[in-house]
Amino acid sequence: MPTKEALDGYYAVGARLGPIKHEQNDWPYEITRAEFAAYMVPPHDVGGQPDAPVRYEEKQEELWELNTYVTCEVLGWRGIWNSEERRRLGNNDLGATLYYGFPYYGRWIWAAARMLIDKNHITLIELLEKVAEVKARQQKGAA
Amino acid sequence: MSGNSVPARFNVGDRVRVRDLPNLFYTRTQMYVRGATGVVAERTYEDLIPEDEAWNRDGAPREQFYIVRFRQKDLWSGYPFETDTLQTELPDRWLEPAGG
Amino acid sequence: MSHDHDHDDHDHDHDHGDGHVHPAAPMVEEITDFEVLEIAVCELAIEKGLFTAEDHRRFTEWAEQIGPAAGSRLVAKAWTDPAYKARVLSDPVGACKEIGIDWAEPTGSGTPSDYMNLRVLEDTPTLHHVIVCTLCSCYPRPLLGHSPYWYRSPNYRRRLIRWPRQVLAEFGLVLPPEVEVRVEDSNQKCRFMVLPVRPEGTDGWTEEQLAEIVTRDTMIGVALPRPGRTADDVRPVHKARRPVPHEGGAEAHP
Repeated sequence: MPTKEALDGYYAVGARLGPIKHEQNDWPYEITRAEFAAYMVPPHDVGGQPDAPVRYEEKQEELWELNTYVTCEVLGWRGIWNSEERRRLGNNDLGATLYYGFPYYGRWIWAAARMLIDKNHITLIELLEKVAEVKARQQKGAA
Repeated sequence: MSGNSVPARFNVGDRVRVRDLPNLFYTRTQMYVRGATGVVAERTYEDLIPEDEAWNRDGAPREQFYIVRFRQKDLWSGYPFETDTLQTELPDRWLEPAGG
Repeated sequence: MSHDHDHDDHDHDHDHGDGHVHPAAPMVEEITDFEVLEIAVCELAIEKGLFTAEDHRRFTEWAEQIGPAAGSRLVAKAWTDPAYKARVLSDPVGACKEIGIDWAEPTGSGTPSDYMNLRVLEDTPTLHHVIVCTLCSCYPRPLLGHSPYWYRSPNYRRRLIRWPRQVLAEFGLVLPPEVEVRVEDSNQKCRFMVLPVRPEGTDGWTEEQLAEIVTRDTMIGVALPRPGRTADDVRPVHKARRPVPHEGGAEAHP
């Protein structure tokens, strides 16, 4: 018989097999009021949505995650933003796709980067050049 | 920091209903409490409402925040346990007096 | 998740001198876009004078030393000293100072995300509290350290407020219907921790002995303390690829 872990794996795959009708959203002419409400509810408001039991896990923190947390908090400490701005940006403004698609701390650093541009502390071009520079440095270090 | 604040309208023990303002862009008033009636359990502090703080409107008036307690049976259809409760925190303007 | 080793055209003898370079440093794919973005944001912030490297170092130092031991000390002291317990309930931030935790640290006016509005929720034999932040992951970091990953997850945040007894049962905690289960949805600036009922079989225990059975999960409200239970239930741990380096000893956070 399969191990408990293998059985969990079979169930996880089986639960996702089923026909699905794909409806492409490409700028509808009209939407219903219910759809408008559903789209506009801030993504972070998940309390009470149905979900299934799942084995809760712990997670060992990556170094970049600790650094992200510290960078975001220090930006708050020095008055560049407050945590409500961070939550608005990183838990809502970024939209449902990234809300569910990004790792938890990925949303934190997304929010910090976006805020710095929104508040004119940096320009987008400065960010792009810096990201390219950091990537080039990483490549060199790996060679 | 600006010193202006809105007078608090509620005391511990008051029955309050949560307002259901239109839901656009940002709020910390959850869907599941909107329209629900509960009891003020505690007055916590005065501060900016999240809808202002999230845009760093430092000069906006401060409001009293309250912990409001609800019966779970009043929040969810078919909630099977009589005595269970839920508490959450809401600013003054999101509450209105509830009758009786 | 392991990465593929694409050695299809040469063998694994790296000293072969065949001209191929095998990096000793991690492969580029291991360095995520988020890590690159964090480095970029941090460097730009320092370049623009928004904060200093020393600020970052000081806050990191604070972030690495917080943990649930402080909360355990508070509960153990409240269990043994009724006057302290009264102060815990009437002036929680002041009571924390007595066990060495200053909610104003490390900035002098509290952390940007934890504020200075602690509330301690006192359990009784007929009232059990459990805490969640349905909107994000608000958590009393100065007292309990960093939140467990599952506490932040949409799954816990969706389900705990509506099906609390089911979720508690998954943690192994089943309460009779006569006990009121009170969920605290921590959605604003108050931060909460549970003061559990002191369990049977602990008469005459020292504060140190009591603190040992007050684990993180008992202060969130998903477990009850009892003699012999000195650790939270073992869960699968998703390992980091490039974890925070620590010089031996326990990690500051899982």
